[in-house]
Amino acid sequence: MEAFRQTQGGAASRGGATDMQGPSPARRLFDKLLSLRWVLLAVIIVSGFIYIPIVENFRVSMTNRDIFTGEVSNVGLANYQRLLDDPVVWRALLNNTFYALISIVFQVFCAFILAAIIEGLRSRRARNFWRAVYFIPSAISTTVTGLLFYFIYQPDVGLMDAALSFLGLEQFSHPWLALESTAIFGIIAMSQWQGFGYSTLLFSIAIQKIPRELYDAATMDGAGPVRQLFSITFPMAREMSGLMIIVTITGAFQVFNEVMVMTGGGPSNSSQVLGTWLYQQAFILNDFGYGAAIAAIIFAVTMLTGIAQVWYTRKRRVQL
Amino acid sequence: MKTSKYMKTVLLSACSAIGLAAANAAAAEVVVADPDAQVDHSGTLSILTKFGSQQLSPYFADIAEKYQELHPDVSIELIQETDDSVKDKTKTLVATNSLPDIFFTWTGTWGGNFIRGDRAVDLTAVVGPDTEWGRTLTPAALDAFVYNDRNFGVPLYLDAKFMGYNKKIFADLGIEVPESFEELLTACDSIRDAGITPVSLGNKESWPVVHYIGQLVAYNVPTETLKKDFDPATAEYSDPGYIASLRQFDEFRKRCTDGAPNGISYEAAVQAFSDEKSAMYYQEILEFDESATEETTMRPEDFGYFTLPVPEGAKGDPNAIEGAPEGYMVSAASDNIPLAVDFLKFLTSQENGKILSASPYGQPSAVIGGSDEATMNPNVVAGMADIDKASYLMPWLDTVNHPRVAAAWLTSLQSLTSGGMTPEEVMNTVRDAASAADQ
Repeated sequence: MEAFRQTQGGAASRGGATDMQGPSPARRLFDKLLSLRWVLLAVIIVSGFIYIPIVENFRVSMTNRDIFTGEVSNVGLANYQRLLDDPVVWRALLNNTFYALISIVFQVFCAFILAAIIEGLRSRRARNFWRAVYFIPSAISTTVTGLLFYFIYQPDVGLMDAALSFLGLEQFSHPWLALESTAIFGIIAMSQWQGFGYSTLLFSIAIQKIPRELYDAATMDGAGPVRQLFSITFPMAREMSGLMIIVTITGAFQVFNEVMVMTGGGPSNSSQVLGTWLYQQAFILNDFGYGAAIAAIIFAVTMLTGIAQVWYTRKRRVQL
Repeated sequence: MKTSKYMKTVLLSACSAIGLAAANAAAAEVVVADPDAQVDHSGTLSILTKFGSQQLSPYFADIAEKYQELHPDVSIELIQETDDSVKDKTKTLVATNSLPDIFFTWTGTWGGNFIRGDRAVDLTAVVGPDTEWGRTLTPAALDAFVYNDRNFGVPLYLDAKFMGYNKKIFADLGIEVPESFEELLTACDSIRDAGITPVSLGNKESWPVVHYIGQLVAYNVPTETLKKDFDPATAEYSDPGYIASLRQFDEFRKRCTDGAPNGISYEAAVQAFSDEKSAMYYQEILEFDESATEETTMRPEDFGYFTLPVPEGAKGDPNAIEGAPEGYMVSAASDNIPLAVDFLKFLTSQENGKILSASPYGQPSAVIGGSDEATMNPNVVAGMADIDKASYLMPWLDTVNHPRVAAAWLTSLQSLTSGGMTPEEVMNTVRDAASAADQ
């Protein structure tokens, strides 16, 4: 749009009286409509692949369908009523919440502190080295990582038990993925290992953008590294922190691959998350209407989280 | 958690919706195969198999190649899936109304889905028991694909569950093949005392324990009661044999298995048996050729099997064996049904049956005379004889039941395995699921 206005301006400077008055309102409207052609393709693609499916999902959630017979019956909000009465949905919601909370601690706060430490290193080579070290796990596919940790957690033969045994901590040896009380936490731990470096890298970039003068001034005022971290680095990186919290929470409510690979939602549905329960209902039990209702819940949670976080971040934005 | 699955979730639902919209148009009249139809040996034939594993996948590839040599104008497209992936693949194909010309199916409720939706061709006129082709197939196997008194499927092989054991370990410890369930538990105690895991059990996928329970309920619950309970409309699940079966398994789990089975995959447990880290493994006859090979620690000659022994006082059928034939159906939407039928006839010839029954495939052919003992694993030969002698083939609980009831069995038995549920609580869950499925 900026380029378009500049072109108009250039034409006006070369033109006569008509140009001085500017184009007519009809012409301006036509030009505006014409400019929309540049975004039309994107609008079509985004609508076709995101907005129409979202609307369609809500429609499907109010029906019961049998994929084998093709029979469809409208059930109104019955599938949403079922959600309230389904203990596995509540369990899945709790697991997603655990996922989000633990991920915020590790992938936002801990990753931020680690990024500040790395960016505080004097040696550029050392900074690059540590960024790479922490980022490498993020470059591995989630499915591969899930399988890797599945083997690490294997009772008796897994690396985890071997490490505990080596350290003389056999009493902590545990069938992590086999017990209802620990399965989801085993998966969450794997996820932190994988996502931690990615968040650290993003925070590193945010910290690099903070003007050095602020630190120099703070140093002259006698502020130490910890004070600088909380008084300069953290406020100046607030926008990135906000973004990371949104990404982390929405990611936590859309988690799927690692749970499917490591436990399949078991044992006894103890590690189900909303994404895997949706899959189970739709593709295992053929209950597509109920699956769509679960998808609607995921959509609502992530959408509300996003809106709330954007609102909060704008309100607290630091202007230089 | 790096990967954002936002799009995945939305698209998943979207694809379902779009697919379902297409599926709406799919329900139609029953399509009946015409025995006098002229076969046009040209065009493309698509086939969904369950032979996607490395060991089995060459079978269909070779058969397809031979068929194409005979009929050069026919092009065969194979979609080869594994035991775990074929269900999801099939549902996706149904939802998008793109079932291949020939597709794999289990018997029971799973196969019944295709009949309910008029998606399978009625093959009675070409493969019914009174037809020339039908008479070449094992009657019980053929009968398993009968729905509404019509033949809708062609059995390819027979499957059943047996306890595989390591003869060397048994001989070294002086243990005889157990004659009763109680003797099996005693044998487990002796094996454990020798520092060996008696039975390796991997239940991460949740269906392996369902297979144990399937065999035990066949022993403990009268067959007629079982058949009634498989139908949600008549299901009661009140026979005391169910609780007895679960208690027997709970005792078996405590005395015969190690560690936490819910955290161990099926493959890992098979590997433990092949590596001689366990003395027994409950497996399908289809797996006999995979458990002990020239490459495994356990030598093929050390592999033996027995049927899961009958518990004392069991009130069901002591001669029942858990298992079922598996086979193929022809899609009602196929453009070339006569060609699909012709390929299935070729597939179930005696010659191809013998190849299927022999190593390295080891899948007991459902074709009469479709096995050659000289080329087969002797254990598979003996297993086939046991299947022939069985008074009742107990279908898999997770395929014969309504999906909701099957899910209840799968989930609650994982809890029983981890000690999180009692047998009574398991049956309450199953009863509730059967009641919900009937509504």
